[in-house]
Amino acid sequence: MSHTLTAAGFTQEAFDSFLDSRHEPGWLVDLRRAAWARFSELAMPARNDEEWVRTDIRLFKLDRFGFPTGAPVGSDMPRSLLAEGVALGGSTVTSDSVVVGAQLAEKWSAKGVLFGDLATMVAEHGDLLKPYFERRVVDANRDKFAALNAAAWAGGALLYVPKRVAIDEPLHSLSAMTDGGIDLNRTLVIVEEGAEATLLSETASISEHGGGFHCGSIELLVEPGARLRYVSLQNWGDQVWHFAHQKAHIAARGHLQWTIGALGSRLAKVNQHVAMTGQDAEAQVNGVMFTQGRQHLSYNTHQHHQAPHCRSDLLYKAALQDDSRTVWRGMIKVDKPAQRTDAYQRNDNLMLSRTARADSIPGLEIEADDVRCTHGSTSGRVDEQQVFYAMTRGYTRQEAVRMIVEGFFQQVFDRIPIESVSEALGEAIGQRVRDI
Amino acid sequence: MSEFIPAAKVGEVIDPGSLLVEIDDRLVVLIHAAGHWYALDDVCTHDGGPLSDGPVDVTDRSIACPRHGAKFDMATGAALTMPATKPTVAHEVKVEGDHVFVRLNSAS
Repeated sequence: MSHTLTAAGFTQEAFDSFLDSRHEPGWLVDLRRAAWARFSELAMPARNDEEWVRTDIRLFKLDRFGFPTGAPVGSDMPRSLLAEGVALGGSTVTSDSVVVGAQLAEKWSAKGVLFGDLATMVAEHGDLLKPYFERRVVDANRDKFAALNAAAWAGGALLYVPKRVAIDEPLHSLSAMTDGGIDLNRTLVIVEEGAEATLLSETASISEHGGGFHCGSIELLVEPGARLRYVSLQNWGDQVWHFAHQKAHIAARGHLQWTIGALGSRLAKVNQHVAMTGQDAEAQVNGVMFTQGRQHLSYNTHQHHQAPHCRSDLLYKAALQDDSRTVWRGMIKVDKPAQRTDAYQRNDNLMLSRTARADSIPGLEIEADDVRCTHGSTSGRVDEQQVFYAMTRGYTRQEAVRMIVEGFFQQVFDRIPIESVSEALGEAIGQRVRDI
Repeated sequence: MSEFIPAAKVGEVIDPGSLLVEIDDRLVVLIHAAGHWYALDDVCTHDGGPLSDGPVDVTDRSIACPRHGAKFDMATGAALTMPATKPTVAHEVKVEGDHVFVRLNSAS
């Protein structure tokens, strides 16, 4: 197996070499330079910063990583969970931030759909994409990781669906990482007015216990009346550091269904943000998390209602075993003009061991006075009576526990209309559940 | 059982005082108090705060979390005061010559 070489550290010299190697348009170079300046100014997040107070990254050493500069891997690639048995309209594959393949069915490209690696798409369609980059959906100033991705992104996927084009086959993107590798993917999805698409996106390490560093971003632009189903499965090796900023803008009458699966990584810190920017926009957000060992997964979700008559519905469910830990902080923010908002957020945690820990912190910040906003959170253990009952029916204890865990997640699986996704998540979780 | 690993030199930690060290990819607070040495996971079990930033109290053999004041027994890791209710992990320490060695508690 070949591997990707990385430059030593994120230094100014390495950044200049990185830029020289990419031959990108001037406007993009300017955006990268501005983000690099911000990255250089910003300190790592402070321990007493409220957003980081429960997530300790003192063992993360940024200077052990650098810009991806090497060749992609050879034949070894992780198994795709989401694409199995699915007739795809197109796919992209990157490894350690380097594109190794991209294809789109002719029938979709003939309709003006663009799908492939982001760098190639910028080179070929820069004028089309420039305004979307300049919208800066993910704020590069947010923190050091956001600035790093804006300055140094490499690999990643672009999906552009022109007005009123409905793609009825899922598209798929896979980002792989070698042990000790780096992934700086940026994903940009633009679904124009009245268009429809489904994108299945997954990340995976070649080695189950592999390490490495992911610093990524996802930007989803759902234009008026458009519909997007986006699935993001994080399945890195259990020593990977995962930092990501992910944000969607949903315009008037737009609809986004966003499903997140979080299974891998040593430590994950993710900011997931949906902004309903136009009237009558709708977002459904689903989260499925399973942690084990000493994993620490921290998700900050933000449902931002900026316009009237919008709906958002978030459901995150997590099961934790061993000494693992999850942190979920959810916020529903309703701006003053966003009257008649209907927003909900809920987080359920199933504790499979006495030493696991789940922090669940829902929040509301409401400036409008005619809204319905509710939230809820539950945490509990597996009911021993349920286990006993299943065992009296002939199941082993482990089978019984697996069934109960599967039942716990069924509520969120029922919301996912893509069968392959709920099956893949269910299978991956079932394999991880041990006796308790 | 894991091995004793060199953690610091004796002169690096004043008495009373503490030092944050990394041992086998784990953050440990090494404590020197009244001539004795102790080592705990650098984690307050209340909300994950860093004990290494907190004060050492020789009189009750405790170290306190700087965030909310929860105290932990230096020798056993036991939670002595609210808001912590669960112990943090204590590790074995020995001194040989000028060096302090820590053996991680593999039970956790």
